[in-house]
Amino acid sequence: MTPLEILVAAISGTPAPRIPVFCNLLDQGARELGMKQQEYYANGEHVAAGQLKMRARYGHDNVWSLFYVGKEAELFGCQEILYAEEGAPNVADFVIKSYDDIAKLEVPDDITAHPAWAETAKCLKILKEEVGATHPICAYLTASNTMPAILMGMDKWMELMISGPFDLRDELLRKCSEFFQKEVAAYRAAGANVLVYSTPMGSTTMVGMKRFQEFTLPWMKRDLAPGGVGGIVYYCGMAPFNNVIAQVMDELDINIHYVSPMADLAEAKAIIGNRGLTCGVIDDIKLIHWTPEQTRAEVKRMCEIGKPGGHFLFGTGVMPMDVPEANIKAMLEAAFEYGSTP
Amino acid sequence: MLEDIIKAYKEAVYETDKTAAFEVVNAALAEGVTPEDIVFKVVIPAVEELMSGINKDPDANLAQHFMTAQIAAEVTEKMLEKFQHPPEIIGRVVIGTASGDLHSLGKRIVMGCLKALMVETIDLGVNVTAQRFVDEAVAHDAQVIAISAMMVHTATGEHGARGVRKLLHERGLEDRIRIVVGGAPYRFDSELFKNVGADAWAADGVSAGKVIVDLIKEVKP
Repeated sequence: MTPLEILVAAISGTPAPRIPVFCNLLDQGARELGMKQQEYYANGEHVAAGQLKMRARYGHDNVWSLFYVGKEAELFGCQEILYAEEGAPNVADFVIKSYDDIAKLEVPDDITAHPAWAETAKCLKILKEEVGATHPICAYLTASNTMPAILMGMDKWMELMISGPFDLRDELLRKCSEFFQKEVAAYRAAGANVLVYSTPMGSTTMVGMKRFQEFTLPWMKRDLAPGGVGGIVYYCGMAPFNNVIAQVMDELDINIHYVSPMADLAEAKAIIGNRGLTCGVIDDIKLIHWTPEQTRAEVKRMCEIGKPGGHFLFGTGVMPMDVPEANIKAMLEAAFEYGSTP
Repeated sequence: MLEDIIKAYKEAVYETDKTAAFEVVNAALAEGVTPEDIVFKVVIPAVEELMSGINKDPDANLAQHFMTAQIAAEVTEKMLEKFQHPPEIIGRVVIGTASGDLHSLGKRIVMGCLKALMVETIDLGVNVTAQRFVDEAVAHDAQVIAISAMMVHTATGEHGARGVRKLLHERGLEDRIRIVVGGAPYRFDSELFKNVGADAWAADGVSAGKVIVDLIKEVKP
């Protein structure tokens, strides 16, 4: 079976030789190609080449079309990204500097015609041609409830979200939701089939249960209504969200959940069961100083929880550049070994 | 009467309702409660209660921490203007985000709590070099350098806490100045703070208030 078929089998619960094994090695692609990050991320061909080389080296199932999270802000007009050689790039220029800028914020009519989309499109085209028939292609899409954080800063967004002015807040959210709807359609059309829906405000560790139900949930419904939830993965930026999984499944119909390393994996698996896919995510910040043996032991523990009954995927979180190659290899070898089906 | 005020203030803060919190405070002032009592008997106990209960409350969340800190800071600032005598400052902290890091939410939560706890806080902003952290700490005679980092490379890099530790060592300042760190990477690996040379870490911005006060007491004569 191809990795894509193995993923489909895991979701549907049909027999497969092993669980899907996902990994995100984004900034490592620049190092692999011997480039500075700014040079690497300036060209979609570089990013695609980096992804394909990483996959060839480690053998994981998926490739990513994500450059860096701030790339979405560029589609809104962000002009400055702060690059670092040892980690992920940051948004350095907030598009919304004052509340007056909310009215001026423009959602591109056609995202695919925007200059900032061009390199993403180039990357996706290569990935689709090279491995699209056999391997899942991941995309990262920020929910409307969280997009303002990369447009104005998390603290400013939290103030506006909680204390208003609420007419301005809702105007901003409408624009971000419209953007999401266009963006997810563009990614689907370009060949991405695993759509990681990044919704940190969809965790009650961020906003509390009352605000989750009254604020986050309705905006998520709006984001997802036109395009549906095909390929959508619920992800709260590594924050735990076990206590809302049932509501998300019932209210939004999202059945694939990228569970926080800080959450109880067994609990998540019990909630999701055979209705969808539990993605067990390793705490990959600990991989920086763990030994390969410790890494293998953690993967074994996770597979022992998740694999019985199927409907399980092994995945990674942020995969810092500091993680030693020996631990990446140990992690993925262990995932294939302990994730195999007798 | 004070008990009712405390209860109403805590309820407003719990609901992250800044307007309601200020209504409680203004009504209390109108009834003759002193600004000193509002800070020391209402605001500080509310912050301390949040700090002590943070691990027990299943619905504790970042939005609530942020608004509690902002409300506490704003109320305290307004009340300080009305104090008969300036209050005694517990100590001084310089705070900023690590070099390369532009995430300021955690820093703002910590600053809000520290203001209410009578700790003088010098905000160095975002993307602060190790050199500047140390220079400003010396210039302000601060007991603590607080470094916020939301990204792994800014938490572990040579230009963040590691660099600050190196400079403190080189300049013979380690007995006088403590380093505290906070931010997402430290939550995922509770041993990480030691690896980067910090003296302490806090799992969230509100708890950071207590950690910093404890560090100040360690080094302040």
